[in-house]
Amino acid sequence: MSYFETLTLALRNISGSKMRSFLTMLGIIIGVTAVIVIVGLGNGMENYMRESFASLGSNSLNVIINGRGSARSVSIDDMYEVVAKHSDVLEQISPVASVSGGIKTGNEAHRSTSVTGVSEDYLDMKDFHIAAGRGISYMDIEDRKHVCVIGDFVNDQYYEGHGLGDTVRIRGAKFTIVGILESETEDTYVGNTDDVVFMPYSTASRVNGYGTIYNYNITMHDESQAALAKQVIEDALFEIFADSDAYNVISMTEILDFMTTMLNVVITVLAIIAAISLLVGGVGIMNIMLVSVTERTREIGIRKALGAKESVIMRQFVMEAAVTSALGGTIGILLGYMLSSVATKIIQIALDPMLAVTPSWDSVLMAFGVSAGIGVLFGYLPARKAARLNPIDALRYE
Amino acid sequence: MGALIEFQEVCKYYYMGDTTVKAADHISMKIERGEFVAIVGQSGSGKSTCMNIIGCLDVPTAGTYLLGGRDVGKMNKNELAEIRNEMLGFIFQQYNLLPRLDLIENVEIPLMYKGVPKAERRKRAQEVLEQVGLGDKLKSKPNELSGGQQQRVSIARALVGKPAVILADEPTGALDSHTSREVLSILQQLHRDGNTVVLITHDNSIAMRAERIIRLEDGQVVYDGDSKSPDALVQAHIPEDEEEEK
Ligand SMILES: Nc1ncnc2c1ncn2[C@@H]1O[C@H](COP(=O)(O)OP(=O)(O)OP(=O)(O)O)[C@@H](O)[C@H]1O
Ligand SMILES: [Mg+2]
Repeated sequence: MSYFETLTLALRNISGSKMRSFLTMLGIIIGVTAVIVIVGLGNGMENYMRESFASLGSNSLNVIINGRGSARSVSIDDMYEVVAKHSDVLEQISPVASVSGGIKTGNEAHRSTSVTGVSEDYLDMKDFHIAAGRGISYMDIEDRKHVCVIGDFVNDQYYEGHGLGDTVRIRGAKFTIVGILESETEDTYVGNTDDVVFMPYSTASRVNGYGTIYNYNITMHDESQAALAKQVIEDALFEIFADSDAYNVISMTEILDFMTTMLNVVITVLAIIAAISLLVGGVGIMNIMLVSVTERTREIGIRKALGAKESVIMRQFVMEAAVTSALGGTIGILLGYMLSSVATKIIQIALDPMLAVTPSWDSVLMAFGVSAGIGVLFGYLPARKAARLNPIDALRYE
Repeated sequence: MGALIEFQEVCKYYYMGDTTVKAADHISMKIERGEFVAIVGQSGSGKSTCMNIIGCLDVPTAGTYLLGGRDVGKMNKNELAEIRNEMLGFIFQQYNLLPRLDLIENVEIPLMYKGVPKAERRKRAQEVLEQVGLGDKLKSKPNELSGGQQQRVSIARALVGKPAVILADEPTGALDSHTSREVLSILQQLHRDGNTVVLITHDNSIAMRAERIIRLEDGQVVYDGDSKSPDALVQAHIPEDEEEEK
C-alpha cells in the first residue's frame, strides 16, 4: 500500500466525519492562529521601531554633557577635537541646541514646530537636502546670525510655498528664512519630520539664554561600529572629566538593539504560551484518535485478517493524525493571516498608521511543521495501539 | 508434496482462573489440496478455534501447524500477515465488510495489501464480483445489499487473491434457507473449480454438501471421514442442552 493510497484513505476518513474532524483540529487551529498573529505583531512592532529610529539616525550618537560631579567643563572646540582625533571611527559632529516654544508666523503661533540650533554640517549629517536657498553656513555661526532653514511642511503650511526670504519669529526674535528643505516624509500631521526649523547653534544658545552647549550629535562612518564609537567618545570624555557621571553617550543602535531584544523576549514568551495550546491540541488529537481506534477495532481486525501488516495499520493511523493536524495547521495559517490584516487595519486607525501586523514566512512554515509534527507525535500512541491489536480479538469486538 | 494443511497434536487452551478450557485438545488431521471439508460440532466444540488456527489468526498453545509444508508456529507477525494475504481467503458469518467502502473497494483490499497496482486491482475485483453475480452493483455500499448479497461480496473478497484455502466460518449462519443454498452452491462451484474449501458449520444438512466431515466435540476430533457415511451424522453422545453462554 503506497503512501499516496494511505493519504487518500486518511483524507476519506477525515472528510467522512467533518464535524468531528473539525473539532479535533480546533486546538491546532487556535494555536497556529495565535502563534502567527503574535509573531506578526512582534515583527510589526520591530519594523515600526526600526523605522522610527532610522529617522532619528541610527548611524549617530548623542552626547549629553551635564558636568555632574566634576568641576571641569568641555568646550565645543574640545568636542570637535575628539572627533578629529578619532576620525577613523567618527565622522562628523554638530552641537545641538533645542529651542523650545515653537515658531510664530505673522500672528499665528505654531508650538509643534521643532526649532534646533545646529552646525553647518548637521543637515548633511541627517541627510536633509536643500530644495531652495542655502543651508546654515560657518559664517552664520561665527556671527550668530538670525537666519534659519525651514522644513517643507512649515514652508507649505504657513508660507504657501513661498517662505524663502520671508521672516519667522522665534522666542520674540526675528529670523530670515535663507533655505527651504526638501520633503523627508509622507506624513501630514503636525510635528512630523518636515515640521522643523534649523538655525545656527550659536544663535540658538543665545536665544535660549545660556551660553554653553550641552548636546552634541556625532556620526560614525560605519553603523556597525556603534559600540566602538561610543567607547571612543566615552574614553575621551572620561579623560576630561575624570567622572563618568558628567556625561552620557547614547547610541541609537544600542537603544534599538536593546529594545528589539526586550520585544523579542516578550514575543517569544507570548508565542510559547500560544504554542502550549498547540500541545493541548495535540492531546486532543490523541484523544480522538484513541476513540477512533476503539471504534474501528473491528475494521482493524478485518484488515489484519485480509493481510494488513502492523506497519500498514500504523501508517494509516499516524497519517490520519498528521493530516488532521496539518489541515488544522493550514486553516490556522489562513485564519492567522486574515486576523493579522484585520488587526493591522484596526491598529492603523486606532493607534499609528505606521504599525502593521506582518506575519513572517518563518513562523508560517514553523507553525505548519510543528502542527504536522504534533499530529505524528500524538498519533503515534493510538496508531501503535491499533497496529498491535490481536486479529481475533479485534474481529470479535462488537 | 505434503498435505496443504496439517495439524499435529494441536492444542489451544484458555486459562480462566483455575479452570482450563480446552478449545482444541490434541487435534491431528490433514487436508489435501482441492478437498471440500466441513468441520462440524456443537456450539463450543472448538470449530472457530480450529478455523482461527488454520487461518493464522491465532497460534496454538501446543502442537504444530503446517500450512503448505511451512511451520506457522515459527513465523513472525509480518510473515503471518503475508500468509493470510496470499494463502487464505476468509468468509465470515457476519460478512465483515467495511461499511464506508463500495463493493469494488471492499473486494480489492487483499490485493491492495499485496501491492497490486490500482488498475489491475479494480479489474480483478470487478471480475470476481461478476463471478458471484454482483456485476451490476460495483459502486453500491454494503448496507444497500441483502444479507445473501453481502455474503457473496465477502466470497468475492475471499477469492480475489486466488488463495490456497478458502475458509468459511458459518457462512450461512445469518441467512435464510434459500440464500443459504445459493451461497453453498457457490462454494460447491469453487470446489469443482479446484479450490480447497474448509467450511465450518453446526448444521448437518449443510455439512452434507462437503465431501468430507471432521466432527469435533470438546476440542477433540470424534469423526473424520466421508460425508456420505452414516457415522458422520452420529454424535458420540447427546450434549447437555444449551451450554451456549460462555
Ligand atoms: N478468547 C477466549 N477466551 C476464553 N475461552 C474461549 C475463548 N475463545 C473460545 N473459548 C472457549 O473455547 C471453546 C471453543 O470455542 P469455539 O469458539 O471454538 O467454539 P465453536 O465450536 O466455534 O462454537 P460456536 O458454534 O458457538 O461458534 C468454548 O468453550 C469457548 O468458551
Ligand atoms: Mg464459532
